[in-house]
Amino acid sequence: MPSVDKRGEIVCKATLIVIFLIGVALLLGGLWGNGQYEAAGFSQENAFSLIHRLAGETDRLYEKKIAPALKASGADPAAVGEISRTLISSAWKTGEPLEVTLKGLSGEKLTERELKLLAMTYALSGPKIKTSQRKQLAALSGDEQNDLLKALLLNAVGETEKLAGAAEELCKGLEGEERTAMLMQVFMTTANLDGEPLSSNTVTEIKKAVRTDEMRITAYIWAAEGRVNWLSQLFCSAGKTFALIGILLMLDVAILFFWLKAERVWKLDFKWLIILLIVDFLLVFQVLPTVNMVVKAFFPESRFSLSTITRLYTYDLNLSALKNTLIAATCTMILGTLLAFPLAWLVGRTNLYGKRFFRSLFVLTYMVPPYVGAMAWLRLLNPNVGNINLALRAVFGLGDAPGPLNIYSLPGLVWVLTTFYYPYAFITVSRAMEKMDPSLEEASRISGASPLKTVAKITFPMMTPSLIAGALLVFVSAASCYGIPSIIGAPGRVHTVTTRIIDYVGRGSEGMNDATGLGVFLMVIAIIILYISDFVVAKRQYITVSGKSTTPNIVDLGKWRAPITALVSLFAVIVILIPFATILITSFKVDLGKSLLDEGNFTFKQWTTIFSYDEMIECLKNSFIFAIITATIGIVVACTMSYLLQRTTIRGRKLPDFLITLGSGTPSVVIALSLILSMRGDFGINIYKTAYIMIIAYTIKYLMMGMRTVVSAMSQIHISLEECSQISGATWLKTMFKITGPLIFPSIAAGWFLIFIPSFYELSMTTLLYGNGTKTIGFELYEYWTFTSQPMACAMAFAILMIVVVLNFVLNKLTKGEFSI
Amino acid sequence: MSTVSIRNVSKAFGESVVLREFNETFGDGEFVTLLGPSGCGKTTMLRIIAGFEKPTTGELYIDDQLVSGGKTFVPPEKRSIGMVFQSYAVWPHMNVFDNVAYPLVIKKQNKEQIRERVNRALEIVHLTKYANRFPNQMSGGQQQRVALARALVAAPKLLLLDEPLSNLDAKLRESMRFEIKDIQKQLGITVVYVTHDQTEAMAMSDRIFLINRGIVQQSGTPQEIYNQPVNQFVADFLGKVDFFKGEVKNGRIELTSMGGQSIPYDGPRTGKVEVAIRPENLYFASDGPLKGKLEIQYYLGDVDDCRVRIGDELVRVIASGYEYYKLQEGQEVSLGIRDFLVFDDDGMLDQMLTIQT
Repeated sequence: MPSVDKRGEIVCKATLIVIFLIGVALLLGGLWGNGQYEAAGFSQENAFSLIHRLAGETDRLYEKKIAPALKASGADPAAVGEISRTLISSAWKTGEPLEVTLKGLSGEKLTERELKLLAMTYALSGPKIKTSQRKQLAALSGDEQNDLLKALLLNAVGETEKLAGAAEELCKGLEGEERTAMLMQVFMTTANLDGEPLSSNTVTEIKKAVRTDEMRITAYIWAAEGRVNWLSQLFCSAGKTFALIGILLMLDVAILFFWLKAERVWKLDFKWLIILLIVDFLLVFQVLPTVNMVVKAFFPESRFSLSTITRLYTYDLNLSALKNTLIAATCTMILGTLLAFPLAWLVGRTNLYGKRFFRSLFVLTYMVPPYVGAMAWLRLLNPNVGNINLALRAVFGLGDAPGPLNIYSLPGLVWVLTTFYYPYAFITVSRAMEKMDPSLEEASRISGASPLKTVAKITFPMMTPSLIAGALLVFVSAASCYGIPSIIGAPGRVHTVTTRIIDYVGRGSEGMNDATGLGVFLMVIAIIILYISDFVVAKRQYITVSGKSTTPNIVDLGKWRAPITALVSLFAVIVILIPFATILITSFKVDLGKSLLDEGNFTFKQWTTIFSYDEMIECLKNSFIFAIITATIGIVVACTMSYLLQRTTIRGRKLPDFLITLGSGTPSVVIALSLILSMRGDFGINIYKTAYIMIIAYTIKYLMMGMRTVVSAMSQIHISLEECSQISGATWLKTMFKITGPLIFPSIAAGWFLIFIPSFYELSMTTLLYGNGTKTIGFELYEYWTFTSQPMACAMAFAILMIVVVLNFVLNKLTKGEFSI
Repeated sequence: MSTVSIRNVSKAFGESVVLREFNETFGDGEFVTLLGPSGCGKTTMLRIIAGFEKPTTGELYIDDQLVSGGKTFVPPEKRSIGMVFQSYAVWPHMNVFDNVAYPLVIKKQNKEQIRERVNRALEIVHLTKYANRFPNQMSGGQQQRVALARALVAAPKLLLLDEPLSNLDAKLRESMRFEIKDIQKQLGITVVYVTHDQTEAMAMSDRIFLINRGIVQQSGTPQEIYNQPVNQFVADFLGKVDFFKGEVKNGRIELTSMGGQSIPYDGPRTGKVEVAIRPENLYFASDGPLKGKLEIQYYLGDVDDCRVRIGDELVRVIASGYEYYKLQEGQEVSLGIRDFLVFDDDGMLDQMLTIQT
């Protein structure tokens, strides 16, 4: 029926136009309000809403008490006004400008305004009334109060009338203007309903928001004149926020218009609302801050200039940091991949002894905070007291000179980075290997190729895209790692881009500019790599349709089986067992330099402290709360996105997906830095040093981990399972709860943990974003390590490790063994 | 041009035995099909021949040379076999030419020779034009031909095919059937073909080995297996068949459930028997041994698929499509019988069916 379509189209277009116009109105209003705010020169944006509040309170005071008293007294309003004016002038003591402003105070309601202004003035400053007398005055009955008010006014204009006790007392001995001032102060105090001259709350707040007397009087006059109405106070006190919302609305409409136009059917879909909500969130907290950071780097003083960039990139320390970062990341990538491929192959495709155990062991490293590894290796390879160095010296009789190995060096950095980032490549490659159809290898064998030749000619080339993707992941993770270089690099003066950025931020606002310059470098690397791995390599990934599910081809290692297993075990001992054991041992030490077995060097003090010390418990609590909130928000978004991506064909569903991918690919340090730059009120949002900013940062960084898990689970559930439920009479909601939900529950749980765990012990972002009361366990540990006590830090590190392992176990049980990390 | 001898081969994965005492010899240039329901052990047998599985016990000889058994094990790459996999297993990182050339490259043949032989192999499977394509640019049927060309290029004496047609659509499957058979005749190689599709097996094979639960139930030409099944399972697996209980009395078999109607019988069995009748062996006759009422007709074009009520049974009769116009539902009819099979009534069939489900 074309007429209905037509009507739908009109309604749809009209809605869009209305929303767009609301956006325009909010933007304009916001800009106007912000202009007002900046022109007024108040020091806090909420001044306008305070003025509005003050005006409201004075209005009520005037209507309820002052006006009736004035009327009842029969005093000449003009004379009362005149007196008020004089009193105001002398109270402010600001001279000329006040006279001018007061002259402007005119019009019909002159007396009313003058009296209101006086009331506000005396609430701020005026003749002092003792609290006890104030109480006496307030204790008067309603009628007595009305009589007193009348008498006070008449006395002020000179017609003497007997005053009540407390008031008489106050005015005793005062002459002339002082007496009038006291009379009016008593008048105001009594007039106010609870004996206080206006609400002290409002007065103190306005004192903070409006700094100088000149501005304060302006603010009070605005209040007296009622110039700030509810709408303007809204726009003036949150101008930027309104402008931001306005821009977002306009942008949303533009995006919707674009989609609708491509769709050719002018019908609004509820799903777009959800997509746009996610998109808006990411636009504000991810896109805007990063763009702002780049802009700040190239426009340091709101003008285009390469000065910051040139200064930064010609400074030796920074240049060496750049060089170190690139060298360390490249070496880590090469070493990590060289380790990962054979390990993945051995574990996945050969008859290696205990391969399931090795597999979970290598994957577990992925879930350990990297700084823990740095701490362990520092204890082991410290040139002076490192246990391995001590052992080597003893074995080879090298004397007492430092060395032979030194962790405080670029090779040391590469070593620790490699031991902690090779699992990234290992996981990527073993996943691809598991998915590979075994008959591809069998076809090679039957064609006459030996098992080794098959690996070289078939397995390896087919794994190349995954291998490259894994290698790039290792590269970008190593380049943007902060925990390891900050622990190993800083003492050895091996700086990296991340440590330089955090040093710069520590220097305050001036260093901020420099930090942005380096942040841009890190971001550019990350984006290039993200582009290559997600949009070039991913397209080449070979999707092989597996026919029958035969078990993967297991290559018999033959006589090499035992030696190779021994080699892999040795690797596991060196890379996993020794570091973790070191951490555990150190956590019981009194004196770091001595052996644990030495007399009196064993203590439980560290362990009892971390579970009893208030500050520590506070940090642990923060970590748990932030991580739980992040994981929960993350998994809700992840499920929504999976549904949109896997079960609908709605236009624009890939937009949030793209932004989320971009966000998780951005180095942590860059996310935190850009959030600091943009979330301190410049764009109408001020969440600096709050829990919000940390949760937002964690969400942006780790959301994708959860999303990918749920999306892949959902893609494996054939839609017919849901359709069958619906055809059996279940509603959509019931189907989700009875069929889809239970089927993907393990993945949802896994996704939740995948977000929870890294958020729980996060360090790089927390270092930049923490504030009073938002310190987390990761940061507390880092501080203890650097400044206070290494054994304490080790105890905390081991506690974190235990938590991760226990969570992993819970996850495994919860999902009936289907998932563990 | 190769013989495969399987001697007492058994295969168990842990507790579950998938092959029991397999004892067969596949002759030179023969097209042999291992047929059976899924999970019957036919693919395991094929993978043992290929060398992807080792038999738990028993020996395997190819051309009288021991390849598996005892301590001897010749790995797949040394067996000179061609094989086509169910999922084709065409390598996605190589183009068609490189895929097909692979076995020759591994054998380090010279480039000229490789080109020539690959081109010949591609010609056989009609893919000459596609040499430079990558697998992801090809349809399932084309990929299947690539796999076939790759299996044939090194001129193996033995070709193994593991359900090569099961991922293709019905039309393509039918034409590929004849092409594979054609190629086999042309090259004269021994083919071992695994399938669960009886039509495929009937159309292509010189000999069929019908396997169930790891045991060869019967082997023979398609005609033998179809017309002289040794047990109820074989009769049931190939073609359509209905079973009826009966008793041999005075040279006739009295069919209990058909209200005692009987059919003439001069065979050796006595007492209680089970009669298997293929629906196409019943026909509408003016005076046949069975009398009943035509209940339903399903007109399928080429045939008229009817159900005739005789006693308690609803007997299936497949008549020519032409019959449809001569008959009316509800009409009294008389059925003639061309052929039927008689088994002992030992409950074996029921047992077989339970295993199947």
